[in-house]
Amino acid sequence: MPSLGLPIFGQSPVTPQPAQRWRSLAERDGTVDPAAGNYPDGEQPAPEGFSRRSFLQVLGASTALAGLSACKAPREQVVSYVKRPAGVTPSVASYYASAVSRGGYGVGVVVESHEGRPTKMEGNPAHPASLGGAGLHELGSILDLYDPNRLSGIRHHGQPVAWSAWLGELQVLAGTLAKDGGARLRVLAEPTSSPTQADLRARLLARFPRARVDSWGPVADDAGREGTRIAFGRPLDAEHRLVGADVILSLDADFLATEGDHLRHARDFASRRGQPTGMNRLYVAEGSFTVTGGAADHRLRMRASEVLGFGRAVAAALAANHGLARLAPLGAPLTGERSRQATAVAADLARVRGRGLVLAGRRQPAALHALASALNEALGNAGATVVYREPVLLDAASGPDRLATLAAEVKAGLVDTLVITAWNPVYTAPGDLDLAALLAKVPNVIYLASRHDETAQVAGVVVAAAHPLESWGDLRGRDGSASIVQPLLSPLVECVTELDLLAAFVDQGHLGAWRLVREAWKVRAGGASAGGTDVSDAGFDRAWSEWLSTGLVATPGAAPVKAALDGGRVATALQAVPPARPGLEAMFAPDDKLLDGRYADNAWLQELPHPVSKLTWDNAASLSPATAARLGVKTGSQVTLTLRGKSVTAAVLVQPGHADEAVTLPLGYGRAVAGPAGAGVGFNAYALRAAAAPWIDGGLELKATGKQHELAQTQEHFSMEGRSIALSYDAAKLGEAVHQLEELRGPQESLLPLVDYGKEEYRWGMAIDLSKCIGCGACTLACQAENNIPVVGKEQVLNSREMHWLRVDRYYEDVHAAGGKVTGEVETVSQPLACVHCELAPCEYVCPVNATVHSDEGLNEMVYNRCVGTRYCSNNCAYKVRRFNYLDYHQVVSPQLKMLQNPDVTVRSTGVMEKCSYCVHRIEHARIDARVGGQKIGGDAVVSACQQACPAEAIVFGNLNDQGSKVARMQQGERRYDLLHELGTRPRTAYLARLKNPNPELA
Amino acid sequence: MSALFSPKSDALLKLVLGLLAGGAVATIGSLLLYQRTPYGVSQAEQIIQPVMFDHRHHVQDDLIDCRYCHTSVEKAASAGIPSTEACLACHAQVWNKSPLLDQVRASWFTGKAIPWTRVHKLPDFVYFNHAIHVNKGIGCADCHGRVDQMASIEQAQPLSMGWCLDCHNDPAPRLRPLDQITNMKWQPPANQAEVGPKLAKQYDVHARVSCTTCHR
Repeated sequence: MPSLGLPIFGQSPVTPQPAQRWRSLAERDGTVDPAAGNYPDGEQPAPEGFSRRSFLQVLGASTALAGLSACKAPREQVVSYVKRPAGVTPSVASYYASAVSRGGYGVGVVVESHEGRPTKMEGNPAHPASLGGAGLHELGSILDLYDPNRLSGIRHHGQPVAWSAWLGELQVLAGTLAKDGGARLRVLAEPTSSPTQADLRARLLARFPRARVDSWGPVADDAGREGTRIAFGRPLDAEHRLVGADVILSLDADFLATEGDHLRHARDFASRRGQPTGMNRLYVAEGSFTVTGGAADHRLRMRASEVLGFGRAVAAALAANHGLARLAPLGAPLTGERSRQATAVAADLARVRGRGLVLAGRRQPAALHALASALNEALGNAGATVVYREPVLLDAASGPDRLATLAAEVKAGLVDTLVITAWNPVYTAPGDLDLAALLAKVPNVIYLASRHDETAQVAGVVVAAAHPLESWGDLRGRDGSASIVQPLLSPLVECVTELDLLAAFVDQGHLGAWRLVREAWKVRAGGASAGGTDVSDAGFDRAWSEWLSTGLVATPGAAPVKAALDGGRVATALQAVPPARPGLEAMFAPDDKLLDGRYADNAWLQELPHPVSKLTWDNAASLSPATAARLGVKTGSQVTLTLRGKSVTAAVLVQPGHADEAVTLPLGYGRAVAGPAGAGVGFNAYALRAAAAPWIDGGLELKATGKQHELAQTQEHFSMEGRSIALSYDAAKLGEAVHQLEELRGPQESLLPLVDYGKEEYRWGMAIDLSKCIGCGACTLACQAENNIPVVGKEQVLNSREMHWLRVDRYYEDVHAAGGKVTGEVETVSQPLACVHCELAPCEYVCPVNATVHSDEGLNEMVYNRCVGTRYCSNNCAYKVRRFNYLDYHQVVSPQLKMLQNPDVTVRSTGVMEKCSYCVHRIEHARIDARVGGQKIGGDAVVSACQQACPAEAIVFGNLNDQGSKVARMQQGERRYDLLHELGTRPRTAYLARLKNPNPELA
Repeated sequence: MSALFSPKSDALLKLVLGLLAGGAVATIGSLLLYQRTPYGVSQAEQIIQPVMFDHRHHVQDDLIDCRYCHTSVEKAASAGIPSTEACLACHAQVWNKSPLLDQVRASWFTGKAIPWTRVHKLPDFVYFNHAIHVNKGIGCADCHGRVDQMASIEQAQPLSMGWCLDCHNDPAPRLRPLDQITNMKWQPPANQAEVGPKLAKQYDVHARVSCTTCHR
């Protein structure tokens, strides 16, 4: 087999260089006009298409080869290392700790690497922001590394330039800029907490004192820091400790999925769910339906602009009923039902002083964040469930204000050189800034990007950016703990990091990020040597490798600060909040999957069903059923949205549980310039965004165009035909439900011969706790990455042919008032479902070729090389968890993407059925490791990919025959039930019914 | 008017039908048979390698243990193909001017791997693990044959699924003491019928035959 030309870890990269020879200047510059003069006079150009000669050639070759086809395939080559890299054993995966940036904050990850190919990103159990869980973006971003559409090298107005040559040019430019102190130099950076970048910026500003570095984050948490500035006089980062919180009030904060340290929050929140006693209680006041709203005990549906009023009503109730008089100036009572809700919430919060928590969402005004701080302070929660720290981000603010200032300067012609390392500001800037036109006025725009996008189109110099897995760097978590970002492989394309680019302006571009980071930390370790870090070379080397291997720098993080709250300022700020603009409300929101749009080219994330709407390959303007009925639109109706004079065309999605008279506009879609996965998907909500009101705006006009847009929602696929599957009870009523649950578990009579798996050494099983599951979808993505699951595209999703082995079903439930009347509110229960590995599996009886059989340990095995694709198994599967390869999805991926595949799992071809294998390759690995050492596999030693990723620890896998294992104990619990128990399939995956902890006063 | 079909044509039809049916059976049968011939499973094929590496010399004359070069055989799925560096560990000193080693030195100095031809090839859907086999009493020669007598490595066993299962169903006759794993000359003792099961017990051998043992 010919070499695929893939880079091999440890070998010097042999990047094919474009030929350096050229026949004319036009050829060198790539401007040959093929139409003109390529043929001498009288000559006819060669016929296009398939010529007679090539037809005969192919015919002859295929006839000759036809005789050979019976013979064997040619022997393949096997390539050894020239010099084996230290620590690499072929066929054994290695794991490296690193960190990735989420909104500038570091999240610790552990990356799995096979012979130098990173194949999967997991959470780092030692890192405080992850605790081992992984979110959609950690899991998905590894796909970006291998994107064949990544930019490579430096392009100067379209012409490739070598880094070293360009560094020379840059030096000249920097010299010129330095003459007036860099007055005409601006840097627009990605929000970051990198200490090395802080050093670099300081050096940059020392050389260019009149230059300015701004950061731009279209979905940054600015309001939180501004809120603390109002409340405490200076911007602070709030760290929420949900473990100690008995009652949580979320004011539009999606803290379980998209905001703050959501992985840690999910872990902490879920740790207090499930047991009937000691459960926390979550109130969520929100407009859009979010993951956090779905996990709430009481979801208080209101427009985003009404949340502030609700927060003030809670403050008023606390002041009036619970003796917290100092909250009185902050409060403003409401009337009617909302007042009753606010009173009940206030009473609940007052009941658990010091053990409650109020959070405010990033799209709420800063005044509400200040109010939340004031509420926490008054209730004694500050210092217990919420602590404040000096912000670790280099810029406290990275919102539209900074961008607007920059835009004004550009407009005034004050900027000569603009270095952009923030992701795609031309696309993400609020529509009214019109950055694309402004950038054309700047003579030198230098843009660091990994893909060709809207900004790259207008930038003079585009520098290819390195993926985090190719970069050296450093980041801090919210608690100040630092991590070193280390590369897993040498760059696949010619690219540089943000640090390299900024260093070039202080004549250090040639050093490389490794030296920049290492030297900076060496200085820092020397500075902190009083703490005991040995800074002799050997001592620092030791510390450095320790930091790299654990993923955490062993220097103490920032200590919590004590700050005095100024109630007067909070009251003033609350009064200064302008009233909501009348009319239909536009609520902008970062997308759960694409965030601000930077993952638009990521096909995994595009195809992942949205946690709530189950929408794939699209975004849509969500509105409530009542509002949709009033406006006369349905799901899939195409509408024109007009806000402040700007219009976009979007599809409507009718979202149960959405606030009335409001529309959620998810950001991040509708890319004009993007790769094949991202271009033209959805609509661009940034175009409607105004710098003055980036999150909540009023006066939206919605007009149906009369056309339809097909939305690929997976929520109806593989449906369970109306049977009650996902069970949810009030914690207080679990006693009454126990008897119903008992009917849904335990042995069933069967005509079929039974195998006693109790005698086996291992009986693998899974338990999924619906009380803990928040429905975020990380398990689906982790499974996709682990098991080489292909992406099928929107058209195939519409055909119900998505390949995810593990889906998360989301069930809506109407909320009934005391009298049994439907209130119009909905609750959701999320239920992850993959093959449940029935002991009496219906699929097995119908397979004509024994391609799905049982192992001695009771796994329902799928033998791909036996499968002939009758799909009988799928028809007979009660749980609809089998997936069929209708097309050869793996044939179409580029060679580069093949490097991503997990070598421990077979890549399936067309016509083959597949399904969850319980990560059997992990079982077999654990078995071999244990048995080579002469031991048994521990009951909890095998961790399935979904379990590993789950931030909430809802999924537990293990050996049911080991009574001490976690899964065995969970399956013996009183909340356990079996899915479709009446069928007698004896599933190995058991579910634990969801428990809710509603407030009786609000029932 | 004569009959449209002569009596002969009936016989002809039968012959044609017989040939068609027989042909189909013969085709499938011969394909199945073919897969069972040594040729069909690529056994005993002479393979020219880019470097004329002679296992006879290294094993018999130099008494080098298999694990000296195939370093990961006891701890990983892959036994490990020695790196160029491993070759030159010795051959930088001995035979360091031999033209037979030109390509090895070229590999070292250019950084390009030696393009060996794969001899033992399992299908992509088979996950074989060396470590578990050599740690449970299966010797190298059991699957790879008398490598010490091969000038150029060839496939000694069929490596078919049936052949794997022969041993997985009854491993005891082939088990050997762990200190004999790399011994090419080891022969089962006369009392292997007694020793084998004892070794199986001692090494806790559980040769599994569930599909996912090898196919995942």
